[in-house]
Amino acid sequence: MQSNLVDFIQVLRTREVRISPAETLDAVEVARRLGYADRNLLRDGLAMTLAKTPEEEVIFLHCFDRFFQQDLADFSAPDPLDTDPEPDSSAAENASLQAQEFTATQAAALQLAAETNPELASLLQAPLMQNLLSNDRTELTLAMNQAAERVGLQQIQMFTQKGQFTRRILDAMGEEHIRNAVISLERDESPALPVLQRYRDTLREQVRDYVEREYLLHAEGKTRQFMDEILSKTRLNNIEHLYLHKVHELIRKMAKKLASRHSRRRKLLKRGRLDMAKTLRKGIPHDGIMFNTYWRQVRKEKPQILAVCDVSGSVAAYAKFLLLFLYSLQDILPKVRSFAFSSHLGEVSSYFAEHPVEKAIELVNWKYGGATDYGSSLSDFAQLALDDINSNTTVIILGDARNNNGDPKLDIMQGIYQRARQVIWLNPESRRAWGTGDSEMLRYQSACHFSAECNNLKQLERIVDQLLKSSR
Amino acid sequence: MHTQDFPQLDSVEIIEQGFESHGYICSRKIATAVFLAFQLRKPVLVEGPPGVGKTELAKTLALLLETPLIRLQCYEGLDEAKALYEWKYGKQLLYTQVLKEKLGDLLQGAQSLAESVAKLHQFGDIFYSEEFLEPRPLLKAMQQEKGAILLIDEVDKSDYEFESLLLEILSDYQISIPEIGTVKARTAPMVFLTSNNTRDISDALKRRCLHLYIPFPTVELEERIVLSRVPGIDEQLRHQLVGFVHSLRELDLKKAPAISETIDWARSLLLLHAEHLEEELVRSTLNVLLKYEEDIEATDSELRALVRNTVADDHAH
Repeated sequence: MQSNLVDFIQVLRTREVRISPAETLDAVEVARRLGYADRNLLRDGLAMTLAKTPEEEVIFLHCFDRFFQQDLADFSAPDPLDTDPEPDSSAAENASLQAQEFTATQAAALQLAAETNPELASLLQAPLMQNLLSNDRTELTLAMNQAAERVGLQQIQMFTQKGQFTRRILDAMGEEHIRNAVISLERDESPALPVLQRYRDTLREQVRDYVEREYLLHAEGKTRQFMDEILSKTRLNNIEHLYLHKVHELIRKMAKKLASRHSRRRKLLKRGRLDMAKTLRKGIPHDGIMFNTYWRQVRKEKPQILAVCDVSGSVAAYAKFLLLFLYSLQDILPKVRSFAFSSHLGEVSSYFAEHPVEKAIELVNWKYGGATDYGSSLSDFAQLALDDINSNTTVIILGDARNNNGDPKLDIMQGIYQRARQVIWLNPESRRAWGTGDSEMLRYQSACHFSAECNNLKQLERIVDQLLKSSR
Repeated sequence: MHTQDFPQLDSVEIIEQGFESHGYICSRKIATAVFLAFQLRKPVLVEGPPGVGKTELAKTLALLLETPLIRLQCYEGLDEAKALYEWKYGKQLLYTQVLKEKLGDLLQGAQSLAESVAKLHQFGDIFYSEEFLEPRPLLKAMQQEKGAILLIDEVDKSDYEFESLLLEILSDYQISIPEIGTVKARTAPMVFLTSNNTRDISDALKRRCLHLYIPFPTVELEERIVLSRVPGIDEQLRHQLVGFVHSLRELDLKKAPAISETIDWARSLLLLHAEHLEEELVRSTLNVLLKYEEDIEATDSELRALVRNTVADDHAH
């Protein structure tokens, strides 16, 4: 049972429930104290040690029910009499009786056919077929579980492997024998053919269901992880609209992870509450006279972020995702002001605050899209926000720095650089393209604390991490 | 705390009954959490919306076990001087004065400076000793001879630094005081932490705790709670008012009414001698249930339908 519990924890881990070895030990201890007799009690107890958030608890309950499912598979051949539409009251009582009779007639039909067909005769002696005929669910489920273990069904990773594993389990259970008999009956055009075919189909169906169930249990989480990984490596502009929602979630997850690390700073100052302990301690050399006073004050430093996003035609493909990121950022971090520009610049924080993401992005694109003019946009920005930039401010600029050969107004950029704690420039173009043609990136770069190429989520994630580290 | 000391915690059922006898109707899950916390000597992190009885759980347990309840209310800026211990500065100051006066007597006969220093070292250093230590809630809980219930309320309101401070206490039931050394708990207290989920609690803290989420109760459970807390109330009214509160919780409100509000409302209705719910009655007492003006306004238009549905449901049963 203990190994069963460990298996279960393995399943939870693939579902992104993080469980440490210490928690595993706790779970084993919980199971020992509560016993396995009361299923609900055990479930509640395990939930307390293994699931640490309400979301994880939902996943936990879902997996618990599936994993500790006690039902046996049903191998009884489909009953043709089932189609009888008459809702007779005695039908239920008769049903089992009829089913028995039906099985008996089927068995008899097969026996009869076996007399002329040696292939079938040997099949009827095989334990698999005998279990099928007598509908011995326990034996069959056991055989299926053993076969699954032999072929390593728990290693299933992708949904594409389902067919392959079904086949392997059927082979391991000896289904080939039935298959051969069916072929041989077909050759003989025996009347027992449909009967045997029905048994074969039932078996296949049950194994398929079983594989499906195990896949959902073991692999669905892995597949999702795989998809997340692929998504975060895909270039931002290649992601289809279909994934927009998914990307948003990914960014949220990421931004939340980063935001939780985002703590406030304390600082010692020359006023506020007297630090009695320190004053006294430092006073001991002066005969206990508190010669110097030491003060303690908590000063909260709230980093402010100003984000500026280029939405012009040249970065159109990326703009949507840069904006999407901006939107999530504003959602999650406390003090973010967002700006968008192409030929002129304006604040868009209120759009993001008031509208859902799709609408906000469209509004911003519609209002500020067009040809790029970094010079006048920077002037606008300076007018709007320069006074707010101080040593707590981080300025993030998202853009390709392609200025259509206009005046780059580098002096404004330098003014921002001197005031701000940090200026970060994220450029969707690859580093090699910087400075080519009308790109002013190399010049702007001189007025940035940090500049980086950023066109996929992986890069974005790394950069945001860096940003939060420095704003601690 | 040793198992044999508390027969009240022998099994999940006994805990359930014990709580009930003290007027706290708990679900099976809550009783399981208390049982496991006691058996595994682990703290419990209790989460849930405000007013579902998180704090009450610890209070009732203290009553049940007849142990002292030591409560630490968390807030932003809470530090070790307020949570763990503080030195008695006044007394330390006096001590240095006294020491200065006695210095001549103590060093009598010392010939050289080295000799006086050596003599001085013979006296124990009591400047930093337990005598000058002022225990704050966490240290106090460690010092209780017969164990205690330690309630760390609204831990999500404290700073991250404070959480790290808790880790040593929660996993080993000990406190390190740099000047003295490690103070181990005489008897490990049962620790309850509550959180309203205003921010994420760090993984390190979560890992050390059992996690108990208390949701709003089911209709059945809430009726039992109202019965136990407001025994005088008419059965029909009880049924209706709980039903109404449950339908309120399904609306999009700023703050959904919690159990404590249900109980308050039941008390007010009892005082008003109400026998069943009526629209006017509900409208005039709605401020007991809903604490925001916006919520009251939003509900106002639907009040008639809500009351009618609740009463109709009740008749159907």
